[in-house]
Amino acid sequence: MNKLDFQKIEKTGFVFARILMGAVFLYASYDKILNPQAFAEAVYNYQILPDFAVNAVALALPWIELAAGLCLIIGIWLPGAALICALLMGVFTAALVFNQIRGLDVHCGCFTTQAAHGPAGMWTVIRDLCFLALSVYLLVRIVFVPHRKTAGAPGL
Amino acid sequence: MEPRHKMTFAIRQSIGIIAIACILAAGANLLRQESLPFAGNWSADSRLSDASGQSMVSTLAEASRMYTKGTAVFVDARPENQYAQGHIKDAVSLPWQQVHERFTETVDRLEAAETLICYCDGENCELSHDLALFLADMGFEDTRVLVNGWTVWKEAGLPTQSRNGNNE
Repeated sequence: MNKLDFQKIEKTGFVFARILMGAVFLYASYDKILNPQAFAEAVYNYQILPDFAVNAVALALPWIELAAGLCLIIGIWLPGAALICALLMGVFTAALVFNQIRGLDVHCGCFTTQAAHGPAGMWTVIRDLCFLALSVYLLVRIVFVPHRKTAGAPGL
Repeated sequence: MEPRHKMTFAIRQSIGIIAIACILAAGANLLRQESLPFAGNWSADSRLSDASGQSMVSTLAEASRMYTKGTAVFVDARPENQYAQGHIKDAVSLPWQQVHERFTETVDRLEAAETLICYCDGENCELSHDLALFLADMGFEDTRVLVNGWTVWKEAGLPTQSRNGNNE
């Protein structure tokens, strides 16, 4: 495989990863925006935030997910959106792992506010770790890798 | 642009996105019919309330008084194996996860009581509250929740027993 082919595949992979993470964040925000009370209960059950901050976080977080997801899909404000995406995935994964370690059976509240989906388990942590890896890749690719103007440009 | 400047740029953009999202969140919440207060009340009395907003919480003193008088039946909402390991003496096991399957077999004992006191274990255990709401829905008018029931009851040295009948 020559260098140009690799760049083409990497670019396609990058666009796919960007749209996938954008879609994940959009999907994650939808149910939480519609059911803020139920999401606030999920946030409360994590037992990480002080009580006074639970509602504010439960109200703002889904809209931040929505805004970051839209930016990733449309392709605007990408550095900011990628940074938010990586930070949120880092916080979500850390919160899940923290509660797994201290043995709290919390409902994830990741994609739905319905407690019927059962408590978060090891698979939820593994899934979040995959999303975290993808988010970190996006952040590095968008913020730190120099832009290539065209695939065939001299000097590549 | 140097990597340090690129990161500063990304941080500025992310603050902008978060600010827009917060404004949208606040606006949407204000327009919502049942808007959520920005700083909520998460005390036990507020969380563990019935459909009308009335607190369902029973204090340990009230619960033990009703136990002594024999006017209350205690309902254990924890899974069967935890009930078997130890429970409030004479409590009925009605695990929240099997409430629909197990309700009919317990209903006679529940109907004999003036008051039902649901309990589970842990300050934030929601099983007892979910069970109390279910029982209130089924027509049991005086249904209450003893917060962190198993632990506080045991620590107060009140009567307990295990499945094999050992009284403590």
